[in-house]
Amino acid sequence: MSESHTSTELYTKQPFPSGYAKVGWGLTAVGLALVVVSYILNTERALFNNLIGFIFLASIAAGAVFYLALEYAVGAVWSTPFRRVTEFLGYLFPFVIIFSIPVLLNMHTLFHWSHSDAVAADKLLQVKAPYLNTEFFYIRNAVIVAVWIIFFYAMSRNSLIQDLTKDQRITKTNIKLGVAFIPIFAISISLFGIDWLMSLEPHWFSTIFGVYFFSGTVLGSLAVITYFVVDFAEKGLFFKGIRKDHYYTFGALLFGFISFWAYIAFSQFMLIWYANLPEENFWFIERWENGWKIVSIAMTLVHFWIPYFMLVARPSKMSPKNLKLSAVIIVLAHFLDLYWIVMPMYNSSPVFGFYEAAFPILSIGIILLVISRRARKYNLVPIGDPKLQRGIDFRL
Amino acid sequence: MSSTALDYSKEIPVIEGRPSAASIDELIIRPIDEFPTKRWYIGLSITGTMLLIGAVSLGWLLWKGVGVWGINQPVEWGFDVVNFVFWVGIGHAGTLISAILFLLRQKWRTGIARFAEAMTLFAVLCAVMFVLFHTGRPWLAAFWLIPYPEQHGVWVNFISPLEWDVFAVSTYFIVSFVFWFIGLIPDFATMRDRTTSKVKKTIYQIFSLGWRFSNRHWHHYERAYLIMAGFATPLVLSVHTIVSFDFAVSIIPGWHTTIFPPYFVAGAIFSGFAMVQNVLIITRKMFKFEHLITLDTIEKMNKIILLTGSMVGYAYMMEFFIAWYSGNPTELFVFVNRAFGPYAWAYWIMFSCNVFFPQLFWSKKIRTNLLFSFILAITVNIGMWFERFVIVVTSLSRDFLPSSWGMFIPTIWDIGLLIGSFGLFFTLILIFLKFLPAIAIAESKAVVPGAQPSHHGNGGHHE
Repeated sequence: MSESHTSTELYTKQPFPSGYAKVGWGLTAVGLALVVVSYILNTERALFNNLIGFIFLASIAAGAVFYLALEYAVGAVWSTPFRRVTEFLGYLFPFVIIFSIPVLLNMHTLFHWSHSDAVAADKLLQVKAPYLNTEFFYIRNAVIVAVWIIFFYAMSRNSLIQDLTKDQRITKTNIKLGVAFIPIFAISISLFGIDWLMSLEPHWFSTIFGVYFFSGTVLGSLAVITYFVVDFAEKGLFFKGIRKDHYYTFGALLFGFISFWAYIAFSQFMLIWYANLPEENFWFIERWENGWKIVSIAMTLVHFWIPYFMLVARPSKMSPKNLKLSAVIIVLAHFLDLYWIVMPMYNSSPVFGFYEAAFPILSIGIILLVISRRARKYNLVPIGDPKLQRGIDFRL
Repeated sequence: MSSTALDYSKEIPVIEGRPSAASIDELIIRPIDEFPTKRWYIGLSITGTMLLIGAVSLGWLLWKGVGVWGINQPVEWGFDVVNFVFWVGIGHAGTLISAILFLLRQKWRTGIARFAEAMTLFAVLCAVMFVLFHTGRPWLAAFWLIPYPEQHGVWVNFISPLEWDVFAVSTYFIVSFVFWFIGLIPDFATMRDRTTSKVKKTIYQIFSLGWRFSNRHWHHYERAYLIMAGFATPLVLSVHTIVSFDFAVSIIPGWHTTIFPPYFVAGAIFSGFAMVQNVLIITRKMFKFEHLITLDTIEKMNKIILLTGSMVGYAYMMEFFIAWYSGNPTELFVFVNRAFGPYAWAYWIMFSCNVFFPQLFWSKKIRTNLLFSFILAITVNIGMWFERFVIVVTSLSRDFLPSSWGMFIPTIWDIGLLIGSFGLFFTLILIFLKFLPAIAIAESKAVVPGAQPSHHGNGGHHE
């Protein structure tokens, strides 16, 4: 283990604070207990929440692979010193798979189109059957997640090898992998969103939905990355010479993706509301009536207005405290977004209880455990990366 | 392969050959100081002829009315809207390059920002021309387009995205113009200090607004530039979003689809970059700007063309997939009709020019080849014009009632005005290249290697 980190004058590996693992184990234990209780008391409700938890973890992990690929593809330097945090999040994939198992075993509870009698009685479902059938669904999503894992593993392994070899050719290989991943990710994340979320309401369709899910995914993932980057930096775990310029880039990128999410969400809503066609407007009506109005309005607040104004000013993008708080709000907003998409299929009016808290607590506990385990094992800074010095020297 | 020598620990220089400040002045201003060359007059005679064709078409249009166009029932929107959307789309690259790439700190934009932004202004003018003249009686259009209280009691329709367009496009034009002008101020001052002609000196003096290159001036300038970039950024995205609303808020199959806003924005950037690429390659060659606009810049432009072209391709495929997935027969019919109906030729021109051909840019050899870059940029422009044609015409020509189906055939006046708009655009570009510095002089000096203090040791950094 110790051979994987060699120290340079830039970075010396420091003992990782044990607090992460403690909080992580605590949250995981509480979350797990709540999950077990919810499955015993109300399996259906637990399953819908399990789906939310699964999509959340999947989107954080997949988003991390996207950022990894993006840094290499566009040749970014500012993010290089902090890239390890992004890489660690890829180790969530085993848990993504574990989270998916209860869902996959109970497809009939969640997905209306998986009932053959429902399909037989519904002309629209018959039309969609070549795409929406369980066999193809399994194959498709297995391939999607496998491809994510393969690309993550290849790029992250190369990056770790580079710590020792400092070989520039590894950067070149990862650039090729990263560039190849971008179009693959565009298609896979869209289909993933359509399959797991849009097809919950199999009659509804929206061409922008794939982009909508992408926007939430990259925002949620970036918020998690930002939180840990800022927290590690505050604890002095990275290198000396972290500046406000570094913080600013994270704040600015968060700000950009918050606006992007709002733009996509508004486009989807506005066009459906304006045209008011019954074949598509019912999806929004379901999320407006029977008490859902409050959830819809709350989502615009926590997913857009609040973090938008928290990050709009220049000094606020550089304040570590503010960045961490915005990141936490955005992570919660991402959960709320998934809740808002999924739960109207469970109940016509919104329900909040310990069921809804179980999976977020468990997911966050797992993220903390995964991060702390990886951070103890590997260098927190990619010391062999040729772009590292430029990244450390980054100025606005 | 030579790229094994690539060192990722070093920045790629934005400007090659370490030119001195004086030689940058000389290189950029020389074409303005010189008497127009023969080549410039040849260019002007071609674009002037095109402009004349447009003027004749316009005169006939005003004399007879919009009936001279090919529009009919059910295709009530023809070349006017197609050309409007096309030109507004072209107008997206300039402000994207100058504002968004500035906020993203992409220094390679320096060499191309100035004339890309000029192209934005000219393209928006071309677009506005179609909006104005498609009203039939432009001298009355003020009542129909701009809301102001008056005794006619005529009031615009605020719930129509066409009206939002009036605001979006005019705001975009004004902000882009101010942004462009702010960037020009130090360059006017440079030209004022350099010129020996008294007339020119007076003109430059007026436009340089008393610029004296003082520290305080630069400080204000950089602030203003950053703020303007912040203002312009949402505008770049909002204009084509609202143009897409023109179609997408309706319930016409093929128009009403939720992906339209980001898809239109991507398409606009795509076509705009292609047009910038065309003008860029010619200007760079004519004015010998090879050191100021490096091959690396052209390659980066091509990468963005590849990216946005693929986004457009994604949207085409997603639309097709969801049209099928929706289970709505009308929706599916529209898309099958686009690809295999009477306008299939237009669809496949669009698809191949926008999606297939740009994929050639995956190859570094092609990305860095000027001839290929130029030809592919032209195909992208053709493709993007046909995209708007396909969207507008195929959806309208196949109405809800098969008995009212019809075809759209453009008349020579439609085509004449289209040629005229290209004439207007390129004439304005030629005039711009003759009278204003095509590259931002002051900004270029700031990105010469070694122009900025090194970050090692001296500890000097701003904010």
